[in-house]
Amino acid sequence: MYRSSQTGRWPASPPAGTTARPAPPPYTPVHAADLPPLPRTRRTGRVVRVGRRAAFFLVLPYTVLLLVGGLVPVGYAVVKSLQNESETGFGGLSSYQRVVSDLRFAETFGNVLLTLVIWLPLMLVGVVGLALLVDASSARFGAAMRFVYYLPGALAGVANFMLWLFLIDPGQSPVAFLWHGFGYRTLNEVAQPGNLPYILAAMLFFQGAGTWVVVLGGGLHSIPDELLEAARLDGADAWGVAWRVKLPMIRPWLGYLTLLNLAYGFQLFLEPQVLSQVTHGLIAPQWTPNQLSFSYAYQILDTPMAAAMSVILLAITLGVGLLVVRRSGLFDDER
Amino acid sequence: MIGRGARAGVAIATLALIGLTACKGPEGTGTADDATDSGGRITVWVDPPRLPAVSAFQRAYPDIPVDVMTINGNVGSTELQQKFVLFNQAGEGWPDAIFFPSNDDLAWAANSKINYVRDLTADLADVISQYAPGSISQCRIDGQYRCLRNDAAPDVLWYDKQLFAAWGYKPPATWEDYAALSVRIAAEHPGYVTGFLGDAYAPDRYLWASGCPTNHRLGERQVHLNLADPRCERIRDLLDRLVTAGAIASTGIFSPDATELGRRLVMSPGAVWWGNFLFRDTWKVPAGRITAAPPLRWSGDREPYTSSEGGGLWGFSRHIKGAQLRNTLTFARFVAADPRWQVELSVGLPGVVPLQQPWLDKQRQAGYLADFDAAAAAFVLASTIVRPERDYTRYNTGTVWTHTVTPALTSGRSFDHAWSVFGERLAGEARAFGYTVHDSA
Repeated sequence: MYRSSQTGRWPASPPAGTTARPAPPPYTPVHAADLPPLPRTRRTGRVVRVGRRAAFFLVLPYTVLLLVGGLVPVGYAVVKSLQNESETGFGGLSSYQRVVSDLRFAETFGNVLLTLVIWLPLMLVGVVGLALLVDASSARFGAAMRFVYYLPGALAGVANFMLWLFLIDPGQSPVAFLWHGFGYRTLNEVAQPGNLPYILAAMLFFQGAGTWVVVLGGGLHSIPDELLEAARLDGADAWGVAWRVKLPMIRPWLGYLTLLNLAYGFQLFLEPQVLSQVTHGLIAPQWTPNQLSFSYAYQILDTPMAAAMSVILLAITLGVGLLVVRRSGLFDDER
Repeated sequence: MIGRGARAGVAIATLALIGLTACKGPEGTGTADDATDSGGRITVWVDPPRLPAVSAFQRAYPDIPVDVMTINGNVGSTELQQKFVLFNQAGEGWPDAIFFPSNDDLAWAANSKINYVRDLTADLADVISQYAPGSISQCRIDGQYRCLRNDAAPDVLWYDKQLFAAWGYKPPATWEDYAALSVRIAAEHPGYVTGFLGDAYAPDRYLWASGCPTNHRLGERQVHLNLADPRCERIRDLLDRLVTAGAIASTGIFSPDATELGRRLVMSPGAVWWGNFLFRDTWKVPAGRITAAPPLRWSGDREPYTSSEGGGLWGFSRHIKGAQLRNTLTFARFVAADPRWQVELSVGLPGVVPLQQPWLDKQRQAGYLADFDAAAAAFVLASTIVRPERDYTRYNTGTVWTHTVTPALTSGRSFDHAWSVFGERLAGEARAFGYTVHDSA
């Protein structure tokens, strides 16, 4: 999953840390190592054929999954979204028009964007900070802390959510003093719609941070000791090593973190849905684009509208995803 | 490899499209073309409070086999409708009888797309004729009765008899008097309230009672919705006054923090079931304090009218015939009009008129309400004057209310602001459900 960079080999002598921000050193992936050209014989021909067949079998399960779980549903959604309202024929872009003219359309995206604006920076800064601290700590203490950070993430989604319900209810919360400090006395005052982006951001941070500390820890671990030692020899202190060497080297991991969390953010469904029920409808039942799409499919019973909403969501997440991939160099090491 | 993958993809996509296009034309509201007969076994879906009805039926008709499924009783939950969409796609799986957790569920169940509930007009004419018109009129859709009411839930005026006596007040008869007395109570006895505004029934309690057109169905895709109507503006001004005076709580009747306030509720319009369910069981107000007066009326209205909060609905399947249908109709008769359920076990005032007096006699023995005879007369009167032109629609006015008005008031905004957000959102949701919104009927 974490790409071939983990198996990559670094050259023995890293560049001296003389520039302000050293670029990551070039490295040679194992599979691209220069091999002497082999004379083409019957034997090598068979090796190539066996290799191709093996590749085919290795890729096949993923291709099937991609088709069944990805491409076919996307194709179906696109076809469906172009149908007319009664689903009897071609309707052009009319379902998109109906979706965009729904007054909740812009609002749900506004809600998600606000949540992302609060949550993503919190996630990036928090997780990177914790991962660097764990990495810089001694082996045993660092491992212990990594485990502690991981604990909240080990709670499954619903269990985590129940925990949060207690946390945000001033009547039961161990941090009730915090809510009283804001002047809140009841769950409905804490969970009022204006506070929801903050509550969701906190919820998602605690749920996901531990896992990402472990992932980034893997990335930090793969930085060769020689490189770090060279940086220290060149006079970099712990801060300099973290900021100028470690951070640039785990940039693809940060891109990966941003990408997956962005996708999750745009697909938010469970948390606002359950909060809406718990607060007896204080939170709008269609608070995120995904909830709105669900409502089109199962309440309004307008499947083309639901499909159109899904296609719009897909276009947005794909667009943002491509941007993140390009800017972070996430897949660069596969060149 | 690519060729094979692409072929598989095309095959799957083609299958999906075939499944998609295999839809049928519109059907009537009687027995469906694909109806089946189990030979007698029936399946009923009920929420937990209605389980005793099924047990009572099984004792009364031991020869009819019944499968029971308990469903989520949360008002406003969407999962039930989702199940019916999938049943329609699969062509099987519908229950034979269902108690709808939320009255608005009737709107989708009778809609031409899901079209689940059968027309009962001919089969159960004898039962339907036993209802007061105000109790059954919401079941009448385009001239056909598509549901039966379990219990009548008309609004009366609840008040605390002891506090009224101690403070020297007389129960108000009109909305204008109610407002004036509320403002006076807020000034003279701070901490006491005269109403709740934050629950999904609040628009029924106040807007419906005033005749404000929020859910006046003109056709399957036509609705009369106009918050600028004078009957809306008079209730808006009244509520604005009560909110400004601090007489009415912004929390809802089901909210956990309402328990504390419920014991300091001096008076409020509220449904018949408030007596046992809220005052006695939820808020634990001691016996002998609470009683009910006839519903408030608007002094400008020629006729007295009231509204209704909930009062459950039963629906029955179009997808059955033969013995299964006969047994389901037996079940329908039992839950709507048999004293073994409606009088002995049901917590609400029976919808059918002949059973109301036996039920009231039983309540009198329980001895919870003060001044029982006056309260009982108020209940019976209220069940006959429920205001018409208020239907169950596919957009949910109560839900729109709770996520617009309640948060606005909780965060200290004015009622006027909350009202305009509510109006805009309500019309928007009606349009999103495909309704054309009309300013007048």
